[in-house]
Amino acid sequence: MYVRLFAASWLLFCACLAVIAWGFQAPFAYDPVGPRAYPLLLLSLMAAGSLWLLCKPGLLEQRLNQRAALRATLCVLTLLAYALLFEVLGFVISTALAAFALGLLFTGRLLPCAISAVLMGVLLYGLFDYLLDVPLPLGLFAAFVES
Amino acid sequence: METLNFLLQGFDVATRPTNLLVALFGAFVGTIVGLLPGLGPINGVALLLPLAFALGLPPETALILLAAVYLGCEYGGRISAILLNVPGDAAAVMTTLDGYPLARQGKAGIALSLSAVSSFIGSMIATCGVVLFAPLLAKWAVAFGPAEYFVLMIFAIACLGGMVGDKPVKTLMAALIGLALATVGVDSTTGVYRFTFGSVSLSDGIQFVIVVIGFFSVSEVLLMLEQTHSGQQAVKASGRLLFNFKEFCFSFWTMVRSALAGFVIGVLPGAGATIASAMTYMSEKRLADASGKFGDGDLRGLAAPEAANNASACGSLIPMLTLGVPGSGTTAVMIGALTLYNITPGPLLFEQQPDVVWGLIASLFIGNVILLVMNIPLVGLFARMLSVPNWVLVPAITVISMVGVYAVHSTTFDLVLMVGLGVFGYILRKLDFPLSALILGFVLGELMEDNLRRALSISAGELGILWNSPISLGLWALTALMLGLPGLRWWRARRGAQLANA
Repeated sequence: MYVRLFAASWLLFCACLAVIAWGFQAPFAYDPVGPRAYPLLLLSLMAAGSLWLLCKPGLLEQRLNQRAALRATLCVLTLLAYALLFEVLGFVISTALAAFALGLLFTGRLLPCAISAVLMGVLLYGLFDYLLDVPLPLGLFAAFVES
Repeated sequence: METLNFLLQGFDVATRPTNLLVALFGAFVGTIVGLLPGLGPINGVALLLPLAFALGLPPETALILLAAVYLGCEYGGRISAILLNVPGDAAAVMTTLDGYPLARQGKAGIALSLSAVSSFIGSMIATCGVVLFAPLLAKWAVAFGPAEYFVLMIFAIACLGGMVGDKPVKTLMAALIGLALATVGVDSTTGVYRFTFGSVSLSDGIQFVIVVIGFFSVSEVLLMLEQTHSGQQAVKASGRLLFNFKEFCFSFWTMVRSALAGFVIGVLPGAGATIASAMTYMSEKRLADASGKFGDGDLRGLAAPEAANNASACGSLIPMLTLGVPGSGTTAVMIGALTLYNITPGPLLFEQQPDVVWGLIASLFIGNVILLVMNIPLVGLFARMLSVPNWVLVPAITVISMVGVYAVHSTTFDLVLMVGLGVFGYILRKLDFPLSALILGFVLGELMEDNLRRALSISAGELGILWNSPISLGLWALTALMLGLPGLRWWRARRGAQLANA
């Protein structure tokens, strides 16, 4: 069932992409193939594969579990928020918040999660920024550490 | 003789203090990543890749690091397989079959030490194979033109589809999705923007690190949400900690046979350690017949997959170094790493960058010895790593992934893209699409299109160039064979079922 759903939406997606890909035209012909043929070839192969799966999805033992789906959604939202706030809040704060939320989601207890999250934010910042030379955003802290 | 000289030169590179230190570090980290259930060699290599780059390591050092992690993962996967009955990485699935029963019988120490030695013998035999065959293949590969390369890559993808067996269509679809992802960005020949949707951040294409970390780390985090085995007690390693001579002799030939088979499977582009361990386990089981206790703790059933998966890990370096076509998902990531350094793997690598190639090969020998020495006495320490709770482990994985992606371009867009790809990867995994095929496709994508178009430019659009040389004809034949195998098996199974019904 889910495979069918996926195959159908993928087919639709391929069709949309094919419409976009149809417009790929080089102003001059540099080579006999051009930029359009190869993506179209891939898209048509994918469409054929989707059609196959639509007809013969095969067996899949996965069942959608409501609780699991809810937790997965929460996890995705946390990750998304983390990604979006990474630069705004800076590494230390966003990491502490995200690590705390993820810890709770993975059935950690409140206090240990909070402690490990704050530690992770501070220690990893130190590790990456000072020891390994990976520049990380300071965000809200930038005003304090102005040098 | 020439090879020996190069090898000595390689040892010269590999025994530099930094490189030794990096190999030690990589072996240690690799073992840990390998034993943590859910994190496999691809994750380990993907997480360390941005780090190696950010640290400004020279290319040979970075490769040595990644190779040590790769080997370390193959060593580490067995620890959780034996003690927890949970494979630490996909290739260790077969190890659980006999490893866990052995541990239950109080022979955990024997199982762990014997499997470490199997891994060691497997890698050593395969590394010798690399030394013998890689230079030969590299000489031969110079004869490859763009058309031959194109067909070779098709063969690599067919190996995935044919060998995985039960789901060829999904495997091919995954590879195609990878290939399609690689077309995003400016077309290198004509400068046309493809699938960028007007976004500046996509004009350069989707960064390799983002794809790997998104598809493997982020989707892994989501999958781990469903695991319930955290806090499961590991079997205590008690009793004799080392195998005796009799047990070693009993399984020695199994190790050698499995190592050779694993090496050959590893060399095939596309077929990796998981297939190698499954195939050798099955064939050893068949060879042993009634005399074996396979499934209830046979030492040979433990030795075979362990020797094979390490051997295939080393073997898969051959197509990567000589042809520039990855032999497994992990080597696909390593090719990505090399391209970050502006080194194009391929036949010329042996002439232009002998330090990189032979340093890497020599470091395999050194890394192996390090791993063997590290794994037998420190196994208790590694086993304790299994008790790190998920609520610390998962946030740590997430943070390191974020940093890894951020280190590439420092944009929020990349981070969001990573999460998006992760969710997509999660859906694909839930639907049983193999993601290693997708990564292989992504790495091959640009090469494949370039070679196809170069070939057709040479022939002025004539398609015949794709099958006009003996090499490409041979490759097409092999491809047809690979694609035909699952069909044949299906047909035979159906006929068998019909006969049984009749």
